[in-house]
Amino acid sequence: MLRTALKTVFAHKLRLLLTALSVMIGVAFIAGTFIFTDTIDRTFNDLFDDIFEGQDVIVQAEAEFDVGFSGPPPIDESVLDIVLSVPGVEVAEGSVGGFAVIYDKQGEAILPTGPPTIGGSLVEDPRLGGSGEIRSGRLPEGPSEAAIDARTAEDNDIAAGDVVKIQTPDAVTEFEIVGTLGFGESDNLAGATYAGFDLVTAQQLFGLESQFSGISVLAEEGTNPDLLRNAIAAALPEGIEAVTAADEAAAQSEALSESLGFLQTALLIFALVAVFVASFIIQNTFRIIVRQRQKELALMRAVGATGGQVVWMVVIEAIVVGLFASIVGIAFGFVIAQALTGVMAAIGFDLPSTTAPLASRTIIVGMAIGLGVTVAAAVLPAVRASRIPPVAALQDVDVRLRMSDRRRTIIGSIVLAVGIALIINGLFGDILDLGPLNELTAIGVGALMVFLAVSMLSSLIVKPFANFLGWPLPSLDNLTGTLAVQNSVRKPRRTATTASALMIGLALVAFFFILGDSIKASAGAAIEEGLRADYVVSVTGFSGGFSPALGEEIAASDEFEAVTPLRFGFWDRDGSDEFLMGIDTATVDKTIFLGASPGGIEALGRGGVLVHEDVFDEQGWVVGDAIPMGFATTGLQRVEVVGTFTENGVVQANFLVSLDFYEANFEGFGTDVDFVLAAKAAEGVSPEASRAVIDVAAAEYPNAEVRDQVEYRQSQEDQVNQLLVMFNALLVLAVVIAVFGIANTLALSIFERTREIGLLRAVGMGRRQIKRMIRWESIIVAIIGAVLGIVVGLFFGIVVTAALGAQGIDVLSIPAVQIVGLVVFGAIAGLLAAMLPARRAAKLNILEAIAYE
Amino acid sequence: MTAVQAAATGTVAARIDDGLKIYGEGDTEVRALDGVSAQFESGRFTAIMGPSGSGKSTLLHCVAGLDVLTGGQVYIGETELGSLSDKDLTLLRREQVGFVFQAFNLIPTLTARENVLLPILISGDDHDEAWFDQVVGILGIDDRLTHRPSELSGGQQQRVAAARALVSRPAIVFADEPSGNLDSKSAAELLDFMRRAVKEFGQTIVMVTHDPVAASYADRVVFLEDGKIVDELHDPTPDTVIDRMRQFGA
Repeated sequence: MLRTALKTVFAHKLRLLLTALSVMIGVAFIAGTFIFTDTIDRTFNDLFDDIFEGQDVIVQAEAEFDVGFSGPPPIDESVLDIVLSVPGVEVAEGSVGGFAVIYDKQGEAILPTGPPTIGGSLVEDPRLGGSGEIRSGRLPEGPSEAAIDARTAEDNDIAAGDVVKIQTPDAVTEFEIVGTLGFGESDNLAGATYAGFDLVTAQQLFGLESQFSGISVLAEEGTNPDLLRNAIAAALPEGIEAVTAADEAAAQSEALSESLGFLQTALLIFALVAVFVASFIIQNTFRIIVRQRQKELALMRAVGATGGQVVWMVVIEAIVVGLFASIVGIAFGFVIAQALTGVMAAIGFDLPSTTAPLASRTIIVGMAIGLGVTVAAAVLPAVRASRIPPVAALQDVDVRLRMSDRRRTIIGSIVLAVGIALIINGLFGDILDLGPLNELTAIGVGALMVFLAVSMLSSLIVKPFANFLGWPLPSLDNLTGTLAVQNSVRKPRRTATTASALMIGLALVAFFFILGDSIKASAGAAIEEGLRADYVVSVTGFSGGFSPALGEEIAASDEFEAVTPLRFGFWDRDGSDEFLMGIDTATVDKTIFLGASPGGIEALGRGGVLVHEDVFDEQGWVVGDAIPMGFATTGLQRVEVVGTFTENGVVQANFLVSLDFYEANFEGFGTDVDFVLAAKAAEGVSPEASRAVIDVAAAEYPNAEVRDQVEYRQSQEDQVNQLLVMFNALLVLAVVIAVFGIANTLALSIFERTREIGLLRAVGMGRRQIKRMIRWESIIVAIIGAVLGIVVGLFFGIVVTAALGAQGIDVLSIPAVQIVGLVVFGAIAGLLAAMLPARRAAKLNILEAIAYE
Repeated sequence: MTAVQAAATGTVAARIDDGLKIYGEGDTEVRALDGVSAQFESGRFTAIMGPSGSGKSTLLHCVAGLDVLTGGQVYIGETELGSLSDKDLTLLRREQVGFVFQAFNLIPTLTARENVLLPILISGDDHDEAWFDQVVGILGIDDRLTHRPSELSGGQQQRVAAARALVSRPAIVFADEPSGNLDSKSAAELLDFMRRAVKEFGQTIVMVTHDPVAASYADRVVFLEDGKIVDELHDPTPDTVIDRMRQFGA
């Protein structure tokens, strides 16, 4: 039985390949995601191992919670003496770090798109690691020398002896570059630009005179790092901790990997969508194969094979297809990983070109999904195959193996109802409280069920649908049009499944279009309402912020009436990261309409926190409540809620504190800089004049971008557009698989219709007409898929937008042009899918087609 | 009269000169047609007979422009088929040739009417409604025109096919075992109609069959054996055909 099955599989290599292709793409993406994230993990592990090499113990301020890149608050210089007095300490040095932008020789700031721009002091003792090692040149000495990371030096053609400007929180200063820095294997710190100085210079530049960000300790030969850590810890004052370098390396590496975890999750979700689409293709293919092999399978039954053996035969084919697809897919994962690495490199993340080795997890998950999905999709057709009666071998009977329309309607409706219920419950959470993670899963499962149900139910409407879509065809393209419409409805289920595969991808695209457009519209409305200022100065990329000096300079000019700085900070809200903004309460009323509760702004100036109305209502707080807020520097505080606000166009946080409160509770990297400035020009000053002043002021701050109201609004839209492009690019994967699916189904259908096509050719149909007929059919199927997709996408878009009302997305906007464009896109996809099958059909040998059995 | 003379007088609808058709190479070489010359006069009903493997179907396919000769020439009217491109051949089949096959003659998704009009629908030309009515009337399928093939009996299906072969007034109709799948009553009706088409409308028909009764409807029977024409019978009856057939393979 196994041999018979295997022979059949390999007799149809092309079919095997086409079928496997759909799963292959999905598996390749899954494997690629894993390989890629493994590469990132390994890179960070190596990086932190390198950074902490030559150190045994780190002494730093105790942080209440992990703040990622920001690092712990500073400690006093005197701690170094305590550390040095501990027996077993060979060397110990303090270091500082902070925000720094390097300029190239032409005077342009070097700003990577994603990673931060940082700087710090370099250790002096060569035995001690911790701040990179000199690749070329020497260590900087004194207030006019600096060393920069080797990658930045190379990319910008900066060499020892060059003089470049470097911006630090309070100034832009010229430095002579005296050396380049490497970090173990890496030429930079995960894409960040790094400027190194001697300790005293760095302390001045970062405003940390007599302070350290941390102290690096090297143990004496033969001293156990853990014991040394304990000894140092015992000597340290309260609030300062000692950790072994190994622990710190692991913790930082993990923190970074975790912050990139969302990337893995996002990529995997798109890969799973692709696999889900592939499962439709597999199921359809096997259904058609079973139909075509009906006589053969009936003959097997007639000569004594059991129903179980017939199931087994079909399943074996699925196993072969699944195995083949998984193995090739995992191999192609390296290509995908390389492509992702390339994308990361393009946005500034420098990852090694060698990908991580194949982890057993990658193989197991890839195989399980590839094989599992293929076999699962083939089981139903296989079971149907076993119901073929032996008599079918002898007679030309059309065996009805499919579910009755009645049962289909009932089951499909139930699945649809449950799916919608899961989505609604997940989004609005009124009926069952599942917890945030389970709710997301429930929404995902609900979406899958909706897709399945629509696929099931759509076979019932395919016929009128195709006839409706195809009504202009017969007059447009007489016979070929008529035949194409007829052919597309011949096997409604086949057409429905094929169209559904395309539906999934396009539904998600439509969904993102609607969500994105709604976000843009909501943001636009919020900005219009909330922004009283004429200009918004914001930070480019993730470069922390810019010196408060900028805001002061603008405010000091006659052309400006008020400038409100906003600062950004993370805090711990019941164990999860939340962010807040520190705001200048004195000026805010002139620049931003906060929509604060009466007296709220004045109260905020005296302390406490202003909470966004939506969160406030959701939590059921009342003014006067003291809520727990955890800060890295000052630990857990109970902060009084002094009022509410509604603005969400400029203030992109749900919690607002005063700048005084902010400064009292935030210290360290990225907290001594302004994140956003809202600047209002003085009465009677022309836009040109105010613009000139603010542009000149900001020119000194390379990572500060000035935008007027229109530009600011545009920039918010651009951010959404960027995400849309990214999501849609990832969804192309699912659409490509669906196109393969249409092509495969068409090819199999054409094979079934060999005689018919032969007859058409015999009585005088030209090859071009045959091609046209196939193309029209493909386009009809694709447009059905596109329209179904749009309907489902509209549903998803509308309910999700409604659910996000509390997150400030209170305007539903449906981009009609893009949505209609999807239909055109679907038609083009159909045309592409028909290319090969049409060619094959046109080349059909007439004699073979009409030959008798 | 030689083939050349016949062509010159314009009374030949199709002819094959020294037709050679070879399948395979070396040891597996099969000469399906081994120097066949024949002509099919206009307005006559010719049957091609011969035992299995004699090459009769190959002869029909080659003359009809469905297959290409290895050597020799085929003419339909004045046109030599060997020099035609696939496009021109397609056009020729559509305009000059009608077909009736043994089975699977109809497109299942089209109605009987659409199937009859198939060559005309393909070309997009207008059709002669009076002629259409006459043809479907004679064939007795005028009340079945809105039906799909799956709703027609085997005999009705073959009559729809015959109507299709005639409706475009082709120069020649080729029929490959048209009655092969029919019961004897339906077969008789179909063959009778084919003979009437020849007698009353001057249609030229060439039919391949292995059934002596079917062959007896023709004006002339050409006998083929091992890729060669071995004999010819005029105004056959079932008995004379059977007698001649007995000589094969004896």
